Amino acid sequence: MATDFEFRKQVLDMHMSGVIKYCYQCNRCTDNCPVAEVTDNAYNPRQNILNALLGFKDAIFSAEKIAIWGCTICDTCDEVCPQNIELTEIFKLLKNHSVANGDAPDFYYLQAKTIFENAKAIPSQPAIERRREQLGLPAVAAPDVNELSTLLKNMGIDKKLKGE
Amino acid sequence: MAEYKMFEGCLIGNRIPFIEASCRKIFDKLGIATSQAPFSCCPDPTGFANFDNDGWLAIGARNLALAESEGKDIISLCNGCSNTLKLVNHTLKHDNLKKDKINKELSKIGKEYKGTIDVKHFVSVLKGELEKIKNSTVKPLSGLKVACHPGCHYMRPSEVMETDDPMHPIDLKEIVAACGATVVDYGEETLCCGSSVSNAYEDHGMAILKKKMDAVKKAGADCLVVNCPACFQQFDGKQRDLSKKFEEEFKIPIFYISELIALGMGIPADELGTKFHRTRVSDILEKIG
Repeated sequence: MATDFEFRKQVLDMHMSGVIKYCYQCNRCTDNCPVAEVTDNAYNPRQNILNALLGFKDAIFSAEKIAIWGCTICDTCDEVCPQNIELTEIFKLLKNHSVANGDAPDFYYLQAKTIFENAKAIPSQPAIERRREQLGLPAVAAPDVNELSTLLKNMGIDKKLKGE
Repeated sequence: MAEYKMFEGCLIGNRIPFIEASCRKIFDKLGIATSQAPFSCCPDPTGFANFDNDGWLAIGARNLALAESEGKDIISLCNGCSNTLKLVNHTLKHDNLKKDKINKELSKIGKEYKGTIDVKHFVSVLKGELEKIKNSTVKPLSGLKVACHPGCHYMRPSEVMETDDPMHPIDLKEIVAACGATVVDYGEETLCCGSSVSNAYEDHGMAILKKKMDAVKKAGADCLVVNCPACFQQFDGKQRDLSKKFEEEFKIPIFYISELIALGMGIPADELGTKFHRTRVSDILEKIG
């Protein structure tokens, strides 16, 4: 197992307080993880932190997708960690890498494309606009789609979308 | 009370607007003033944040800048939106390198993030108005047994959300009690609804949902109350599938907390659009009378 020092640096930089290096693998995160429980630890936050801290990039990204994408982002691990490690921040970095590699589940590319094209994750639709009216609600204030897509294009994020 | 910028979010605004209806009605009764702004997607802390962190920060900062330009705090109706907007605000206030990087991008579209406003989840605002809620409750929900699900992102991560105890939340329970209903403890109050993992692994989301609904059922609750539209959809929309999958009946009525408060205030169910719920709520409405 080889350490990728560039990847390790990104992990340490992501965690502003730097306490990730104090992880002593107590397993509180995995013990309290609702997904670990229903998958017999196929999703294992403790293992992700260990691999990330050691810079074992290949071990993380060549594993089954669920090793990264099983996280349900409930932030329970963050709260129960005795070392105050913000695990969910590290997991976000792993997921960002997986997206850039083109390996993420379809949902994430689809949602990003919808936001890029509509400035909303769920675009406005006539049936709901009518329902809003019936309920006595004002129309949703329309976002500036052009400004938002320009912002994302300037940052090169449109290149990560699939089918572009 | 100062006016807030209303952040209804994509899911409530463009899919389940009846939640916004009950929120607006109770805000009116409680004297919570709001106005609109052309906000984009927050964006989704369980979706787009995982797609690209810097893009998530930039879109979030742009939304904050829209409210900053009017000098008004944001009131959010959704756990996801308040989680994103608070996390982005927190990150950029504490990380100058990131703030400079994001502001460099924002300047190209004529915007600037300054970090001058706060973001509030509507439940934490209501928590400060318990007496007013009690006093406006003309039809107390006496005898109604309510299980509470505040949802992960109402209070976690706690050092950023700064609302409730992250593992033993009480805000929602106190609001339910202020409406005259009885809070039923079921032991899984802080368990995730399973919505996020369902985006990639539907089966695992259903397994978590089963654990949750089993506990609510066993505790004998009449209904489950939530304050997040993603949790609402998971509970309200998926119980039928859950019943099929596990060959066991699940039909717990689901309410948004604003709906219960509104019913207690005597606002007719017709005006709240409760008919748009997937779970059957008529028995509860009858019980309340």
